[in-house]
Amino acid sequence: MSFSFDLEPLKASIDRFGVLNPPYLLRNSDSHFTVVVGYRRLLAVRELGWSDTVCQILPDDFPPFEALLLNLHDNLVHRHLNSVEKGMVLKGLTRFLTKEEIVANFMPLLGIPSNRQTLEQFLGLEELEEAIRISVAMERLSPRVATLMGSLGRDDRLRMNDLFTSSKWSFNQQWEAAQWIVEIASREGRSAKDVIDEGEIVGVLNNERVNNPQKVKSIVKILKARRFPSLVEAEKLFKKGLSGLSLPSGVNIIPPPSFEGIDYKLEIVFTKGGELKEKVAELSHLSGLEKATEFWKGTEHR
Amino acid sequence: MKGFRIRRILIERGAESDSLTKGILKELPNTPRQHVEPYELAPGEDIAGMDKESLRIIHFKGEFLKPCPGTKRYICCGYKILNVGSNCPLDCSYCYLQSYVNQPSLRIFSNLQENLDVIGDIIDSSPDRIFRIGTGEFTDSLSLDFLTRWTDFLLPFFSRRKNCVLELKTKTSSIKSLIASRYRKAIVVAWSLNTPRIIANEEHKTATLKRRILAAQECQKAGFFLGFHFDPLLYYPGWEAGYEQTVQLLERYIAPESVIWISLGSFRYMPSLKRAIKRRFPGTNIFDGEFVTGLDGKFRYFKPIRVEMYGKLSERLNKWHHDLGLYLCMESDDVWRQSLGWSPENSENLCSYLDSRVRKLMGD
Repeated sequence: MSFSFDLEPLKASIDRFGVLNPPYLLRNSDSHFTVVVGYRRLLAVRELGWSDTVCQILPDDFPPFEALLLNLHDNLVHRHLNSVEKGMVLKGLTRFLTKEEIVANFMPLLGIPSNRQTLEQFLGLEELEEAIRISVAMERLSPRVATLMGSLGRDDRLRMNDLFTSSKWSFNQQWEAAQWIVEIASREGRSAKDVIDEGEIVGVLNNERVNNPQKVKSIVKILKARRFPSLVEAEKLFKKGLSGLSLPSGVNIIPPPSFEGIDYKLEIVFTKGGELKEKVAELSHLSGLEKATEFWKGTEHR
Repeated sequence: MKGFRIRRILIERGAESDSLTKGILKELPNTPRQHVEPYELAPGEDIAGMDKESLRIIHFKGEFLKPCPGTKRYICCGYKILNVGSNCPLDCSYCYLQSYVNQPSLRIFSNLQENLDVIGDIIDSSPDRIFRIGTGEFTDSLSLDFLTRWTDFLLPFFSRRKNCVLELKTKTSSIKSLIASRYRKAIVVAWSLNTPRIIANEEHKTATLKRRILAAQECQKAGFFLGFHFDPLLYYPGWEAGYEQTVQLLERYIAPESVIWISLGSFRYMPSLKRAIKRRFPGTNIFDGEFVTGLDGKFRYFKPIRVEMYGKLSERLNKWHHDLGLYLCMESDDVWRQSLGWSPENSENLCSYLDSRVRKLMGD
């Protein structure tokens, strides 16, 4: 259960000190061996050009489920499993246990939230293309987004993987953007790939004058405007209305989230009481302030 | 109902000797049955899949009469739910029970009839209050009536009371038992309505729009008061023409004078419901609209979209008749004013408004 790992540190260690803990093997019926524990150690030994190393052979009647557990516990004590590897462990366990047993007994062991939904998410990782699994293993792609990709076509998910790994996206940004892409595609009857490949987003990606965080921010903004055209328009109108008010410096009016509630907030930044008094006095005479809660209205939603 | 079949009956310990259980078993003599422990899933009972082909009969130990789960952040109507069971054989993609109840199978409470006295005491002890009670919040009121015979004992029970109405809310055309009953007083038969497109694409196994309205017409002719619920309203290209078709059918077949109320409510959902719906109905388009987080944590359409839908639909309904008892389900004061031109301001006043509809139409 090893996926997407760097063998060099282990090779260097074995080269210097030898194999400190021998791998454990099971003899197959055709006299070949299955590696139960120590797969990476054996790979390192082979890459170092060694012709032999000491291994432990487990009894022929060693139960397969015990072999899986031996492997799991050996891995857990000396390294961190990546998400794809955790998915591989969980998949292996489904051969022996019910999903309820896995959720209750093994997901906590792997440090994963113990619920059926997360289990399905991890099990689904194995079905995805290697490029996507590598992105997940390297923690460049959110496992949750990878699961969402599972519902898309191959080209769509590979394009999405490219988008999210080409710049530095936070997992939350990936999740938000991935949902929007899927929903825009559904609404417009297009593929997710087409949504990503439309001019504006490609323009941002190809713009060499902006840095990666700026690119992510711009793409999120483009997607939000397409996913929520009326809301974004309302936000623009509100901002425009405020800018026409000539509010004193350090004063801001904050609308309710998504304009759903009716309570607006007034924010005044000041350092001295006198300054506060001046700003309040200025506000009380400010023409147009009484219309502040109306600025966003009249939005033509599309 | 289209494509509905009960493949097995799960009888919870404690429900075996209830009369409703015996009636169901008599009605389905050849359906495999299995005895199960309360709160334990039977093999194959799958929460994610809802397992709507299993009928679980439960000796219910909770409260049968409950307030409708509203919220203080929006104006609610003070409805009471008569808890007869949960889940239903209809399979609407947007159904909130998929995450709200989080239990599989069609669930029927076998000891309802035995507990009616408690409900009667509650109603009778407040003679000045109007109780608007419905069975259609956690299940469809009529879809399982052919098995449960709820109407046989609920209609006489509520009909003889002066300060309550029982609303039977459905998306079926299963009205045989209602028509056969001799009780009419204090009974409202109500239909959830939507556009033909939404019914075809999202309200699986329900009756077509025309069948629902024809059933309503039959009930009206038989002397029942009617209610209609445009909930959930769904916004999609062509929504206005779709709802126009629905109102036209109402105009054609229903006399508006005995309509006690018509509610309008837009599609809203908790995040967990979206996950459940996406899992069960991956091809649905109901999430295409612009949803924002509401004051109660549920997602709902961006306010101007809701206002437009309520405004246009209420205007159209008012053209049909000026006194239909229109009200909004779980909306804010400002949305009421912008879309209907008035507002009850708070939940108490909305309750009073709907109570007055009961008094006016049914007489004091």
